[in-house]
Amino acid sequence: MGTYLAKRTIFGLLTLLVTSFLIFSLLRVVPGGPVDALIEEGWDDPELRAQLRHKLGLDLPFHLQYARWLGGVMRGDFGVSLVLYQGEPVGGVILERFGVTAQLALLSLAIALAVAFPAGIISALWKDKLPDHIFRVVALAGISTPNFFLGIALIVMIGVGLRRDWGVGGYVPFGEDPWGWFLRLLLPAIVLGTDHAASISRMLRTAMLEALGKEFVLTARAMGLPKRELILRDGLRNAMIPVITVIGNSAGALLDGAVITEVIFRLPGLGSLLVQGVYARDLPLVQGVVVAAVGIRVAVNLLVDLLYGILDPRIRYGGGS
Amino acid sequence: MAREVQTGEYELGAHRTLLQEFWRNFRRNKLSLAGGVIVLFYAFLAVFAPLIAPYDPIEQFDAPRGMRNPMPPLSRDEDGRLFLLGTDKFGRDILSRAIYGTRTLLEVAVGSIAVAMLIGVTMGAIAGYKAGTWVDELLMRAVDIMLAFPSLVLAIALVGAFGIGKIKIGPITLSNIVKIMLVIAITYSPRFARVMRAVVLQEMAKDYVAAAKITGSSSARILIKEIFPNAIPPIVVQASLMMATTVLTTSSLSFLGLGLQPPRPSLGLMLNEARDYLFWGAWWYVVVPGGLITLAILGFNLLGDGLRDALDPRQARRRR
Amino acid sequence: MSELLRVENLVTRFYTDEGVVKAVDGNSFGLDADEALGVVGESGSGKTVTALSIMRLIENPGRIEGGKIIFLGEDLLRKSEREMRRIRGREISMVFQDALSSLNPTLTVGAQIARVLRNHMRISRRDGRRRAIELLAAVGIPEPAKRASHYPHQLSGGMRQRALIAMAISCNPKLLILDEPTTALDVTIEAQIFELIGKLKRELGMGVFLITHDLSVVASFCQRVIIMYAGKIVEEAPVDELYANPLHPYTLGLLRSIPPLEGEAERLESIPGEVPDLISLPPGCNFSPRCPLADERCWQTEPELLEASPGHRVACWKAGKGGNGG
Repeated sequence: MGTYLAKRTIFGLLTLLVTSFLIFSLLRVVPGGPVDALIEEGWDDPELRAQLRHKLGLDLPFHLQYARWLGGVMRGDFGVSLVLYQGEPVGGVILERFGVTAQLALLSLAIALAVAFPAGIISALWKDKLPDHIFRVVALAGISTPNFFLGIALIVMIGVGLRRDWGVGGYVPFGEDPWGWFLRLLLPAIVLGTDHAASISRMLRTAMLEALGKEFVLTARAMGLPKRELILRDGLRNAMIPVITVIGNSAGALLDGAVITEVIFRLPGLGSLLVQGVYARDLPLVQGVVVAAVGIRVAVNLLVDLLYGILDPRIRYGGGS
Repeated sequence: MAREVQTGEYELGAHRTLLQEFWRNFRRNKLSLAGGVIVLFYAFLAVFAPLIAPYDPIEQFDAPRGMRNPMPPLSRDEDGRLFLLGTDKFGRDILSRAIYGTRTLLEVAVGSIAVAMLIGVTMGAIAGYKAGTWVDELLMRAVDIMLAFPSLVLAIALVGAFGIGKIKIGPITLSNIVKIMLVIAITYSPRFARVMRAVVLQEMAKDYVAAAKITGSSSARILIKEIFPNAIPPIVVQASLMMATTVLTTSSLSFLGLGLQPPRPSLGLMLNEARDYLFWGAWWYVVVPGGLITLAILGFNLLGDGLRDALDPRQARRRR
Repeated sequence: MSELLRVENLVTRFYTDEGVVKAVDGNSFGLDADEALGVVGESGSGKTVTALSIMRLIENPGRIEGGKIIFLGEDLLRKSEREMRRIRGREISMVFQDALSSLNPTLTVGAQIARVLRNHMRISRRDGRRRAIELLAAVGIPEPAKRASHYPHQLSGGMRQRALIAMAISCNPKLLILDEPTTALDVTIEAQIFELIGKLKRELGMGVFLITHDLSVVASFCQRVIIMYAGKIVEEAPVDELYANPLHPYTLGLLRSIPPLEGEAERLESIPGEVPDLISLPPGCNFSPRCPLADERCWQTEPELLEASPGHRVACWKAGKGGNGG
């Protein structure tokens, strides 16, 4: 398994490298270069422009620019935010915001798993009966509802229903006020979690049904093993592998969901940072966040690969006698 | 000679029953039928928007004396015009905006899927046909790289790179809508590439392709005449499911203010504006655009799922 | 010789979208306590469904509609699911055809055997593991302690089949059902497996219900044979008698399609036609469309399973009139 993981790690790093290159070139090649963002419209001062270009290193040949940037990245220096956080290193800003996003992501994943597992298993076991039908409709609705709609709708309902300002929006660090922290993260986590829960439970249902239809389940039944054993050790254990894939996909794309959720609930995370960066045309910042997003995905994929190895003995010990 | 005729007849027969079989399976599943109906409804809405919408979506109407915009549902202005869902704070009819917004959303979705399919299917076909060579490797690595970006993040980054609103690349000016279509097409073409490649690989292993090769058909001819028709079902399924995703991404972009720009009616944008309107208790401003988006996504998902199940040959009878 | 199993008028049907499949259509037979009964037929003849019916493992859209399955004096069809669970794996065991797909890929071989043991008997984890290793040794697997910690994909085909057998006999069942246990294995391994089964049968005193499509296996291993066709038993006899004096045209056809051990085969005949669709069967004898001897009566009226000579039953209007016997 060691070689398997090593290979996946190298592939991940390569992906990171290439994607960073892509983003780098994209942001520089496409019209509306970094300089335009800094200069007020209408103020066309060629000397100022030249100065800025030099400062940003834009007058260097492309490959040198990239090399310089890459070198900086290796040292942890992602450049400096030009617009939003004038002068502050991008890396620092990202790290700061990452904490919030990570907390949101973990909480939403926890909620999602807590809901998805029982739902998926129950609907698989009661296939085509009422619980299954209800589940399938609800899950489909969950997938189809955009999270911005859900978020706003929830805010409305909570606000109207409770008639109290729940304190929606904004973020409170855990250290300051644990209960407040939880309350403010709960709604966004639910919104984010719904999406995850829907796709995870659907895959769980499919995977369970497939596993339970396999020959070895028949053998286990023929040996008189009770239902509970069949469900857990034969069904679930074999269903976990595709389910982990879906969980990994969901988690890898966490920034997608985070963008919308953080904007709606005004959480200072990576998602809202990306949007603010795009508005402000703060290219180094946007660049940094996108690279971080890919980095998150790569890291999650590696984690999933690791889990595969643990769960599936065929990967752990390949080959026959 | 005789054998050639035989194969032809066989193929014709097989296709006919395949279509009938598919339609039978599809019809049985009520959910996929519902999806089909929903999609048709949206198509109808999109095509006949000018006839259905009561007013021009960007026209601003004055509130009657004593009232201010935004007006609640079922209000009338001084000239007796009825606003079924009321107006927004600029006096524009919400219902008309919703209808036109749906139309635009679908336009963008269809447009981007079309381009995405074009790019993706071509890439996938080439990669699949030249499977194992460096061409295949290169194309598939490119696809993997593209898929490493979370889709919304990629779309946002692309918008960030291109700029908000209409853009100029050298001498060419691209309207905002076209730019958005391009952005989304780029984001989602890798998925089509993957599907197409898998289909091509599958078909290449089949006998009829070997037969065509032996009889000397050129590669292009094989691809287009033989493989392509068999690729249509999975591509169509993928397209339907991707429509759902595209609608989601487009409206997300608009919601964030990075997509369609005012005064153009946009469901995503309306939902964003709705946050302000909550102050006035205007829940319908949330529900109508949100519901329209959700229903569209639901419809395409149901349709795509239904198509996939109906085309799945695994619906064979079980015998022991 | 006490009778271990007696099946009477078993009817099992499958209700599919295309129609009702009469998989087992009123069959009766018996099996003695230390007898090996071979059940031969093409795929779709109902052999596996019969076995699954005995185990009460028939699921939707299948249903056991009628008959009795008397095992050790009690009708299995009247037992509750709970009681059946106590019988499966303990009194009656079944080994399926493909050992790789019959084993859970995420559990070690030892664990899979041990859990069957712990389910039926009150023994500790440690004892369960120990016993599993003993069983693996008993079925002839070298280095059983090491193998017990292996996963199914790490074993060869023959070893997997042995492991399955070990699982099946772990609780000393009185009846062992084998569904084409060696079809996926090559001939030398096949011989070893049957030697093993024979040995276990003798040592444990089991009755064996062997499903196969291979008449040669039956000849060397079984005492009695049942030939099934399209859901019905068409002939039943002690093995030697069947080879010496086959009465049913289908049996004749089967025998003629095996190359002789000595001399050259003039022609290997195959039975013309195809296995019928079990949904739409002819009104008379199921074999009549393919039978060279079929006449009007064969088409119209179903023949009953009648005793032609002691221990030899056949369901055919033309029994014994087909060419030279054997």
